[in-house]
Amino acid sequence: MSLNQIERAQGLRVRSTQDLAGGLFMIALALGAFVFTWDLPSGTLRQLGPGMLPKAFAVICAGLGAMLALASLRYNGEKLSGWSWKGIFFALGGALLFALTIRGFEFGPIRVPALGLLVSGPLLIFFSGLAADDRRIKELLIFAVAMSTACILLFKYALSLPIPLAPWLLGI
Amino acid sequence: MKKLVLGLAAAAALAVSGNAHAQAYPTKPVTMIVPFAAGGPTDIIARIVADHMSKTLGQQIVIENVAGAGGTTGIARAVTAAPDGYTIAMGHLGTFSAAPATYPGLKYDPINGMQTIGLAGGTPILIVARKNFEPKDLKEFVTYVKANADKVNEAHAGLGSVSWTTCTLLKGVLGTPKINAVAYRGTGPALNDLVSGQVDFMCDQIVSVAEQVRANTIKAYAVASAQRSPALPDVPTTKEAGLPEYQIEAWNGIAGPKGMPKEAIDKLVDALNKALNDEGTKKRLLDLGTVLPTAEERTPAGFAALIKRDADKLTPALSAAPKQ
Amino acid sequence: MDMLANLSLGFSVALTLKNIGLCFVGCLVGTLIGVLPGVGPIATISILLPITFGLDPTGALIMLAGIYYGAQYGGSTTAILVNIPGEATSVVTTLDGHQMAKQGRAGVALGTAAIGSFFAGCVATVIIAALGAPLTRLALLFGPAEYFSLMVMGLCFAVVLARGSILKAFCMIMLGLLFSTVGTDLETGQERLTFGIPSLSDGIDFSVLAMGVFGFAEVLRNLEAPEARDVVKNKIGRLLPGWDDIKQSIKPVLRGTAIGGILGILPGNGAVLGPFASYTMEKKLAKDPSRFGKGAIEGVAGPESANNAGAQTAFIPLLTLGIPPNAVMALMVGAMTIHGIIPGPQVMTRNPDLFWGMIASMWLGNLMLLVINLPLVGMWVKLLQVPYRLMFPAILIFCCIGIYSVNNQPLDVAFTALFGLFGYLLIKLGFEPAPLLLGFVLGKLMEEKLRQALIISRGSFFTFVERPISAGLLLVAVAVLAIALLPSMSKKRDEVFTE
Repeated sequence: MSLNQIERAQGLRVRSTQDLAGGLFMIALALGAFVFTWDLPSGTLRQLGPGMLPKAFAVICAGLGAMLALASLRYNGEKLSGWSWKGIFFALGGALLFALTIRGFEFGPIRVPALGLLVSGPLLIFFSGLAADDRRIKELLIFAVAMSTACILLFKYALSLPIPLAPWLLGI
Repeated sequence: MKKLVLGLAAAAALAVSGNAHAQAYPTKPVTMIVPFAAGGPTDIIARIVADHMSKTLGQQIVIENVAGAGGTTGIARAVTAAPDGYTIAMGHLGTFSAAPATYPGLKYDPINGMQTIGLAGGTPILIVARKNFEPKDLKEFVTYVKANADKVNEAHAGLGSVSWTTCTLLKGVLGTPKINAVAYRGTGPALNDLVSGQVDFMCDQIVSVAEQVRANTIKAYAVASAQRSPALPDVPTTKEAGLPEYQIEAWNGIAGPKGMPKEAIDKLVDALNKALNDEGTKKRLLDLGTVLPTAEERTPAGFAALIKRDADKLTPALSAAPKQ
Repeated sequence: MDMLANLSLGFSVALTLKNIGLCFVGCLVGTLIGVLPGVGPIATISILLPITFGLDPTGALIMLAGIYYGAQYGGSTTAILVNIPGEATSVVTTLDGHQMAKQGRAGVALGTAAIGSFFAGCVATVIIAALGAPLTRLALLFGPAEYFSLMVMGLCFAVVLARGSILKAFCMIMLGLLFSTVGTDLETGQERLTFGIPSLSDGIDFSVLAMGVFGFAEVLRNLEAPEARDVVKNKIGRLLPGWDDIKQSIKPVLRGTAIGGILGILPGNGAVLGPFASYTMEKKLAKDPSRFGKGAIEGVAGPESANNAGAQTAFIPLLTLGIPPNAVMALMVGAMTIHGIIPGPQVMTRNPDLFWGMIASMWLGNLMLLVINLPLVGMWVKLLQVPYRLMFPAILIFCCIGIYSVNNQPLDVAFTALFGLFGYLLIKLGFEPAPLLLGFVLGKLMEEKLRQALIISRGSFFTFVERPISAGLLLVAVAVLAIALLPSMSKKRDEVFTE
């Protein structure tokens, strides 16, 4: 992984898929940033405009990305490893569910009512808990309820945060 | 810890009492959105006023800080909420009068698209400068700034802030819109550079700068109100000092979504007035250098008129400001 | 001597039963809330600010200051235990602190952090009491140009000392800088890279980014490798640092305190650089730099001391100038104002009880932290025993509620999830998130200060070399870079940011 330690290899071929992907990733991000800041005025060096620094940083990012991608052809390094799709789906999905249901959400034809912490909490814990390989459904259910109750007592009552509890049931 | 015990007790009480209360507004806590972070001038006024209003309403007013985009994110959320009287907001000069001219894509209409409740308090605006800035009084300041428009630097707390709004108006009044404006993230850093003499002048609320003026780390030219402020009785008004055209006050007031039930509006107005007539609340507000609103301004119509008046005053200068 | 008289006045205020109680409650509650992942010091203080409103001003400030230290320290606990920094200054603590936890030395790491913080806090309190007023001048010497140069120097340190792959660290710093430009342009009000999303109009929130790339991404990584996390729970070593640990930590603590204390006085959140500077220094001075990033105790002791010293001296501009140097201090201003005390240069003379009482309570607060935290260490370490299948949903819900509460915006939670995915991608691509966060934090200040300096100087870049302090800082930056670029020296480059 480290450029300093890795021996230089002979000939050009992809020697580190990780670095190559990393380089391309940087270039893609930089391109995106560059495109989306395109119409922001850069100003001049004397009077910097809002677009100057984003564009400059994007260019440098792309340059570094290119260097990284090229380096991956010359130096040995790590390979890309597999993804944990289950983790992404359940853990991040759980957080997303929380975001969607805590205050409700409206996006075009899709409407989600505001369910409040009373529902969003257990939903988040249960759904994300499914990501673990060694999950136990019954334990998870109990934990979801207990943990949510603790959170409600802590955040809503002890700290009196203005977080919706159950607008559909209690009106708060 | 006491808080925790109280909270738990409240939770238990809530579970028991349920919906047993009468149906009259308000039957549940009212959310007051403060469109800035906790601890800022608007947040403080909101908390002081809401504290007393809760007593009158018999229900807690819960402060919810929704910061973002110069306060317009929070106000947008409040005035587009269900008009049931349970969501209101504490906005200020910027979010209600200046925002339409500042933010082209504003998602609410402060003049026609919301229900005003009343003004909670006004804050005088001071024109201040670094200690060793050449002009001695406001007259000299006006001449100096006009003559050296390309040399002086004005500091403000970011586009959309009170200091930006009021200073842009000042530059409009002076006819020098092109004066270099140095943008800071908040009043604190701007004030820091004014005290250390990096920038020349700024305009801001008396509560933010009065202590520095008293300590002589910066100097004040004038207060842009009709009367001198009891907080700084030695500082002349703009009228006295020779710039009567520059009259602006930063104020904070309450509004909610259009279409609120009359009962809710009446009760909120009543609660606001009771709060502003309460000696303890009054004192806390006056300590901040706040000017208490007139009887007229404490009504929905009076507050709406104020919003309109200041919007008309600010729009030309703000639209002309070099921003887009 | 004046200082003694003042301090005795301060202690007579702070040592009333009520104020001791408030200080204790503040520290305890601050620690407990601050330790929740997703709830950093700023969130903790804004959450707890209203509960101080019912108190008298001095009591309220003493309690609030307690909450602040508590939250600060609680944030380090989360950084060590679950690798989630609550704020910019505890990013560095995750590097070696969490490694120590993985090796079963969580207790030692927590204990070292507590003792280091206590020492730093004591020294900083004395500095504030003795030198607060004269040090104020230092804050006023730093204008936009000096500040910009300081940021450049900070970035150069990071570039030079990062190894992992220096190129990849550089990538992450630049990406952090790029991220920092998201949001409404301060000067012109134009939206940059916000895609019309209101949540982005004030830029990406630090906690959203940090919870995403550290917190959520870490959960994802742990989920894919169950055996890695079990290491943490199977090995529980000693609970408190032993003599060897303390001996190793003494010098880093001293140096960290000095660096953090000085940087803390600077306006515009100079304290952020403290832990980074301390870490790089410890690594430079270490006989075997390769231990860093693998659980070196100096990598916890130094930065944690710097962090706490800086947190404390950051009160100097607030107390002597009445100007808050960072977001936390701005909250303190709010707390003082709501009690009718408007901070300004005269607070010291006009409210001596409050001023000296608060300083005395700082020392008291640090002592309380030690008293509270050493016994809690055992409890925190036991928390690691909770099976991960239950631990990560708990982390997630705390993160979600914490993130939501900062701005009461559900969209922020969704963004955190998105950054979680992004952070996981970074891990997969072999990038480290720490330099990203450093670039992000410094980037915001850098652009702001650069443009302020250029406006004031009418577009002349000479302003950065004409002003002696700025020139000096740039010179250091150039020297540091030059050393790095000399091939003979480059072999000694060591890693700062490797986890």
